[in-house]
Amino acid sequence: MTSGKEIVVKGLAKSFDENEVISNISFEAEKGDIVAIFGPNGSGKSTLLNILSGIAEKTKGKVEIADFNPNKFSYIFQNYRESLLPWRNNYENIAFPLRLGKTEEEEVRRKIVEMERIFSFKANLGLYPYELSGGQQQILAFMRALITEPEILFIDEPFSALDYGNNLLLRNQLQKYHSKYKPTILAITHDIEEAVHIANKIIVLSNKPTRVVEIIENEAPYPRGTEFLNSQKFAATKKKVLEAFQRGAMQ
Amino acid sequence: MKKNFLIGIILLFAVWWVVATVHVLDAFFLPGPIEVLIDLAQMLWTGTLNADIYATMVRLGLAFGIALIAGIPLGILLGASTKIYESVEFIIDFFRSLPATAIFPLFLLVFGIDDSSKIAVAAFGAALVIIFNTAHGVMNTKPSRIIAAKLMGAKKLQIFKSIVFWESLPQTFIGIRTSISLALVIIIVTEMFIGTYAGLGRRIIDFQYIYNVKGMFGIILLTGGIGYALNLILAKIEDKVVHWKGK
Repeated sequence: MTSGKEIVVKGLAKSFDENEVISNISFEAEKGDIVAIFGPNGSGKSTLLNILSGIAEKTKGKVEIADFNPNKFSYIFQNYRESLLPWRNNYENIAFPLRLGKTEEEEVRRKIVEMERIFSFKANLGLYPYELSGGQQQILAFMRALITEPEILFIDEPFSALDYGNNLLLRNQLQKYHSKYKPTILAITHDIEEAVHIANKIIVLSNKPTRVVEIIENEAPYPRGTEFLNSQKFAATKKKVLEAFQRGAMQ
Repeated sequence: MKKNFLIGIILLFAVWWVVATVHVLDAFFLPGPIEVLIDLAQMLWTGTLNADIYATMVRLGLAFGIALIAGIPLGILLGASTKIYESVEFIIDFFRSLPATAIFPLFLLVFGIDDSSKIAVAAFGAALVIIFNTAHGVMNTKPSRIIAAKLMGAKKLQIFKSIVFWESLPQTFIGIRTSISLALVIIIVTEMFIGTYAGLGRRIIDFQYIYNVKGMFGIILLTGGIGYALNLILAKIEDKVVHWKGK
């Protein structure tokens, strides 16, 4: 998956008042990488993503995103309930980013049908988000983020609202989408299995003040089905991640 | 309609009936509910009150309409800028705390003793409530959806039209519902002043002067009923428009 560096983060630090929450984070992501950011709760993972997306200010360091195009960037928030628009029906929620760009209706319809197919979304698009289950709302947020075919995708706890079966399903669907459109994905997770399952690069973060404990390459080929979870490769990578995590948690 | 809705009505009439029947007060000053309802039905049936109901409803309709047309855009405008809102907050809160009917004499001076002064003072009082609630609805918009829309490349006006306006609607509706009740109160009270020839407020005062106590109570009931019905209609509209509220 190498066709140039897409995201370069160097010496990134963030302090709130005098309190350093992120200390000296550096990593790189190549175009088309799926990077998992894995670390303990409260380690500032969301803050890191917010800084990279420009929502939050950094205190120190450098963030470079090659040829950044705001129209080709999507961010799926952890709190999907507060980012979906309950006054728009499901169809209009998915279409929202395209409506902002005044895309023609025919094109909108075509893309929504494609999203429905990729995510095997069966719920009625004429309903409203609050009429869906938490899991379906999460998928709705995915479809809304991916309908613009982003080159860079940030996801905060992508599978948090789902039960295990749907969690596995969405992991597969995300891989399916990725194999077709090859966006660079940065995904925050606190679930080690999710991280090792979908990412080709796992950044293990420490407790606060957060730093990078280790960056672990995870070279197994895609698509990684559920059988990958039983493989030796999976077990070995998971062990490495766990060891790094424990080192980081003890700091 | 809520399940226990009827209990309140029955309770009101039962207490009234008991108090009237045991003659706690002189029967002349407190007639029983049945007599009052029969009298009211007769007035309605014969059309005696038509002109009064019509006059009050037209005044209320105009006052409420003006309050909506002026209040919502103004509230949105003020809410959109904390600086502007802070600079006029005192004026809004001052007049909101003052009974609008207390400044009716001022409106009489400006608008004269015909209908326009009544409509203007009711519109003024109602608009303040709408402005206050709409502005607060806009100011209290949660940042998460705005941030999400910004990241999708939404421009200021787009964020306003597709997020802020909708987020403020539940609070705006609280203002709208409060304002129609307030407008009715102000219209009825101002109708009791000079220069009114028709209107439910006028009729209440007239019946009081001529000791038609039954008729007076009947119109009080009717006025309350109208206020209640208007609130109910607005609540239904609110449920349709703000369908996501509380979900």
